[in-house]
Amino acid sequence: MYTTSKLKRFASLIAVIALMFFSSFAMAFEGDAKNGRKLYKQNCASCHKLDKKLIGPALSGVTEKYSEDWLLKWIRNNAELRASGDEDAIAIFEEYNGSVMSAFPALSDQDIFDILQYTIDGDPKPIPTPGNLSEVAVAPSKDYSKQILIGLGLLLFLMISLLARMKNTLRLVNGQDPVSIIDEAGWFWGRLINNKVFVTLATIIVTVAFLNQLYWFLMSIGVEQNYQPEQPIAFSHALHAGENQVDCNYCHSSARHSKHSGIPSANVCMNCHMYVDGTEIIDDAGNLKYEGERSPEIAKIYAAIGWDAEERQYIEGYEQQPIKWVRIHNLPDLAYFNHSQHVNAGQLECQECHGPVETMEEMYQYSELTMGWCINCHRETEVQFEKNGYYQDFHEELTEKYHGEKITAEKIGGLECGKCHY
Amino acid sequence: MTENNKYWRGIEERSNPELTGKLAENEFSNEVSSADFLGNDEVVESKTSRRDFLKFMGFSTAAATLAACEAPIVESIPYVVKPDSLTPGLPSYYATSMFDGMDYASILVKTREGRPIKVEPNTDANFNGNTNARTQASVLSLYDGARLRNPKVSGEDASWGDALAAAKAMLTDKSVLLTSSVISPALKTAIAKLGLRHVSFDAVSSSARLNVYEGFTGKRGLPTIDLENAETVFAVGADFLGDWGGQNLMAAYANRRKPGKGMLRHLQAEAGLSISGSNSDVRIKARVSEYEAILAHIYNRVIAELDRSKLSAPVRTPALRQDIASSVEAVATELISAGSGALVLNGLNTENAERLALAINLALGSKAFNASKFVYTANGNDQAAAELFADAAAGSVDTIVTLGVNPAYQTPLVDLTGVNIVAIADRQDETTSKAKVTLPVSHYLESWSDFRAVDGHYAVGQPTISPLFDSKSAVEILNSLAGGSETAKTLIQESAALHAGSISWNALLHDGYVSTTAAEVSMNGSMDARMIDLSVIEVMKPQSGFEFYTYTKTGMGVGENANNPWTYELPDPISRLSWDNYIVMSAADAVELGIEVAAESNGAMTGNTLNITVDGRILKNVPVWIQPGQTKGTFGLAIGFGRTAVGKVGNNVGVNAFELLPSFNVLSTQVSAAASEVEHGFASVQLAHTMMGRKIVNEISLPTFMNISHEKWNEKPTFETYKGPLSAFEANLWDDHDHETSHMWNMSIDLNSCTGCGACVVACSLENNVPVVGKEEVRRHRDMHWLRIDRYYSSEMTAELADENGIGAIEKYAKMEIPSESPDVVFQPVMCQHCNHAPCETVCPVGATVHSREGLNHMAYNRCIGTRYCANNCPYKVRRFNWFNYKGNEKFTDVNPSQDDYGRMVLNPDVTVRARGVIEKCSLCIQRIQLGKLEAKKDGRMLTDGEFTTACAQACGSNAIVFGDVNNPESEVSLLKQEGRAYHLLEEVGTQPSVFYQTKVRNRA
Repeated sequence: MYTTSKLKRFASLIAVIALMFFSSFAMAFEGDAKNGRKLYKQNCASCHKLDKKLIGPALSGVTEKYSEDWLLKWIRNNAELRASGDEDAIAIFEEYNGSVMSAFPALSDQDIFDILQYTIDGDPKPIPTPGNLSEVAVAPSKDYSKQILIGLGLLLFLMISLLARMKNTLRLVNGQDPVSIIDEAGWFWGRLINNKVFVTLATIIVTVAFLNQLYWFLMSIGVEQNYQPEQPIAFSHALHAGENQVDCNYCHSSARHSKHSGIPSANVCMNCHMYVDGTEIIDDAGNLKYEGERSPEIAKIYAAIGWDAEERQYIEGYEQQPIKWVRIHNLPDLAYFNHSQHVNAGQLECQECHGPVETMEEMYQYSELTMGWCINCHRETEVQFEKNGYYQDFHEELTEKYHGEKITAEKIGGLECGKCHY
Repeated sequence: MTENNKYWRGIEERSNPELTGKLAENEFSNEVSSADFLGNDEVVESKTSRRDFLKFMGFSTAAATLAACEAPIVESIPYVVKPDSLTPGLPSYYATSMFDGMDYASILVKTREGRPIKVEPNTDANFNGNTNARTQASVLSLYDGARLRNPKVSGEDASWGDALAAAKAMLTDKSVLLTSSVISPALKTAIAKLGLRHVSFDAVSSSARLNVYEGFTGKRGLPTIDLENAETVFAVGADFLGDWGGQNLMAAYANRRKPGKGMLRHLQAEAGLSISGSNSDVRIKARVSEYEAILAHIYNRVIAELDRSKLSAPVRTPALRQDIASSVEAVATELISAGSGALVLNGLNTENAERLALAINLALGSKAFNASKFVYTANGNDQAAAELFADAAAGSVDTIVTLGVNPAYQTPLVDLTGVNIVAIADRQDETTSKAKVTLPVSHYLESWSDFRAVDGHYAVGQPTISPLFDSKSAVEILNSLAGGSETAKTLIQESAALHAGSISWNALLHDGYVSTTAAEVSMNGSMDARMIDLSVIEVMKPQSGFEFYTYTKTGMGVGENANNPWTYELPDPISRLSWDNYIVMSAADAVELGIEVAAESNGAMTGNTLNITVDGRILKNVPVWIQPGQTKGTFGLAIGFGRTAVGKVGNNVGVNAFELLPSFNVLSTQVSAAASEVEHGFASVQLAHTMMGRKIVNEISLPTFMNISHEKWNEKPTFETYKGPLSAFEANLWDDHDHETSHMWNMSIDLNSCTGCGACVVACSLENNVPVVGKEEVRRHRDMHWLRIDRYYSSEMTAELADENGIGAIEKYAKMEIPSESPDVVFQPVMCQHCNHAPCETVCPVGATVHSREGLNHMAYNRCIGTRYCANNCPYKVRRFNWFNYKGNEKFTDVNPSQDDYGRMVLNPDVTVRARGVIEKCSLCIQRIQLGKLEAKKDGRMLTDGEFTTACAQACGSNAIVFGDVNNPESEVSLLKQEGRAYHLLEEVGTQPSVFYQTKVRNRA
């Protein structure tokens, strides 16, 4: 999460002013480093880093070397600039062995200024905080219900004692012997357990309650709703699917074609993580999460596939280690489930069964995955007849048969045993 | 009875009166102290009382139960780098070819997650693009745990480098390479490079027949048969639908046997009842020693009728037995009138027999006999092998390199003790265990290879999985022995560049084969009926005593899959026995020898055994099966059994026929036999041999079919009701299911096309994870096959005959039970009929078997509680009960492939492996139906007919099984349902099955 404190803004302002004084080129632009960071991640990060060479040069301090005009031209279309015979441009091109940088004609001047601002400011630095202020500041909220209950209990006890005392006083007044509260309770209990109606009722209530509990306990066996095992890599769906809006099908590509949704192989991770290695991840407090180091979680992918992050190449002859994920959604073997049937033919959203995955830091089983749950959905979900040539004849036949009722999966045989059990 | 009687407890008490008192005192005289009983001081001294013990027991049981509720952690391990061509959950298909020394097939291999799990026919291929039971079963042999894991030198594990070096050091110019038939050009190149003397022989030899063609053309191959051009085929001892000739004629035969004008007429002369003989219109029960004489008689008739000036002189031939003489004359007449439409096939491996058959075909100008295109799947040379063995015995051979042969088993009489053996083999078999060096060869599904099985066809075999063990392709091993270092793939690529023509490598791999324009086999002038001088040959003299021959069984074949449980479990189509080989003999011989085979009270078959002496060699206690249709005086025994070192499945199953008749011999007439005291239990899956006058298999003759309306010969049962006579579909107690909307799956089985070959049964087992149960369970009729092929013999007694002669019901039915000595044979595949008014559904107390709106009878295994009411109520007896946990019970460790990690890899991941105590049955391959519909839905298009089909229908080489949607009026199955031949099995029961049959038509008056 990217947050900027006022202090930080002030610091960057000072830095900008300082840079304006000391840099060899007087920078006349004003950029928003926050927007610049976003644009940088989208457009530049796959080839550039701030502090070291990647495919292209390190960008920190680039504004000191080149003029604002020149940078605008270079970034927008470097090929054109080279074609115009600009010596600096050709020099860079040759320095990097003729690797061509993409043109970014879509970036506005302000966008480029924002990016340049970011190259000056860099990532937000950790802010020193004196002591653990936050912990002191936030008092833990308390739950008083226990104390209230104890108080009420004491009150009740006091009142019963008072009542007993009053009764005994009355008895003394009437010339009778006082009766202790325990004897009284014993007498009451004796009446109670000799009352057949009470005993019968109590037995029935207790038995029914017990059987009810037993039933629900037995029914819960094998239902692993909310199962959230620890995974070998602390992968966050909230970050990938939520914040970064990566489509589910990008990683789980076989969900459209196959019965399995498929866990992405490490080479799919590498499509992004060849460039995104976690050095720039910022935590909620606005600090660099790994203090500029590579994320240890992402490093696990590198260890699996054999990627040398320093040399930026795959290690030859590396003995690859598959990542052993813990399977969360386990259907029994006797039930056949096909993802493509639901995702492709049924056009269901992944979230219908898997819940709000895009908000899950750690993946868990959202649905019951019981047969009752399946059946219920088949009873309620309408068949996606539209634009599917397969149904072109059946749709009419079924509409006629069911007199225009909505046609659910049930009505095309979605509840038949053999459709899932074979 | 008086009151004073005294009863003694024994003689001892009577003789010693004092004992009475002692006994009364001490009734249980030998008291054992608990300490002695427990025999463990710790237990005796422990303070734990019985009550405590029970408490602990109770607690731990409860704790264990609760702990078991915790689901186990399942790991999901994706690829590190996923191959592009592979999506988990979706199958990939690879085109390749299979050759095992006898069968050659162009196939598609279905793989899931990199594991081959099913073999399908490659119907596009121009040669043998269909599968039989052995081809289907071969995929399981890949996962055989008995395969060699690594090379060995002197019995010790060794590296490939060391083993090859050790083998090379043994090779001198006195060394010999001994192989089965080689049809791989790349392998031939490697063999030439190796430069050793090369000898090949086949377990089922065609050597003498090959000699004939080699003499004429210089090529060791057999002519191909264009059955499409034949009108009348006469096969003498040739089971051309089973194992004969290397060419799969199933599809062509079924095509030509479509009832109607010009239907192929099939005549057969043979000793034992084969698949071809069972399907024939006329079958002559001949002795093997009569085959040559039969051919000679026909030859003489043919040349007598035709223009003598163009033909050679008649053959001197012994007279034929009276019983068959007139039948042979009739066959000759038919062949002559068929002229160029006639075809004679010879199955006897002698030069004379083949010359005669060739001469007849040439004289008649047979259009079906294609002597310009040869098939090479059998090209061994028995003389060369015999010479080699003679040289080995004489000491002039130092090392024999074996590949694809097992001389210690196939030629047990040959003594190879003085010779070093380098075995290129897949297992530690009878020969390999004697080898100095063992080089493990990969299964064909792991190998690179190429094939020229027939002229005009070049195929490449590609691996469908990495070798499971440390083995290599045969071509690579031989090339390495010759000093080469190329990989198998390179060698095949080089070979393909020479032989495949202009097709690209990728296209060749994709198709699996390429049509080549091979130079046609050119006959030198002598291959002409005039030039074959048959007047000099000496025709084999028919014998009158016992004679002995060997044959191949449908499941076992030549024995390549001898450790493959599916080949054993598949019942023999004719005898309906599994897990055995046995001497087949006629009922008359059995009476003579005092042999009986009878069912025990539990339905298991038990019979006498035989001590048999052939050419002075004795085998004792050989099981005997009384086979209707067997020629009197002939004993047949199947090869491939009686292995001692093939693996846990095949070891010591049956007897080794090669011990009586080594593979080079075709027949022995020096036979004596006597019944033995020892009894033998058979695993028989069918006790009823006849249909007892019922129309279970509807059979008519061709003239009836052509001239009489089908209402007459395919009468539908009707019921008298208050509404008048109603058909079984109309007279009905229940409400009908709605079968108009969406699909309605039906299956048509053409009894005219079904040859009984059993490919469907094995294919079904593969597709549906049908467990193997072993001999003891099959013997109890607890076989698990979802699909069975019932075989019925005709009986001499018929209902008509009984009516005519006034025979009473009891005598009639008693006689009807006895199959004819020369029976007609019919086959009928029976699987779940998917009744639309299913008797099983109404009796299930838990609703585990229910009907679908697509016409299927569903079976939910997890609901089934195993009452077996459904199986009892099923009129077709197609429901199978899991008596055991076959995949875990140690009783089945030796037979069930699911009990080891390798065997489990063949399981179809889309089909549940059933647990103990539930009923299972044919689902009409619902996994394929569901997948087929899903593919159409995903593509957003209508289903097309034939897009997918069931495993049995796909495996059927003769297209007897057709599956499809009858709600699609243009589908093949809809049209078949309208056919006059169509009928439902036991239609009168009113079950309204979704499976229907087509009446069998025999081409005779």
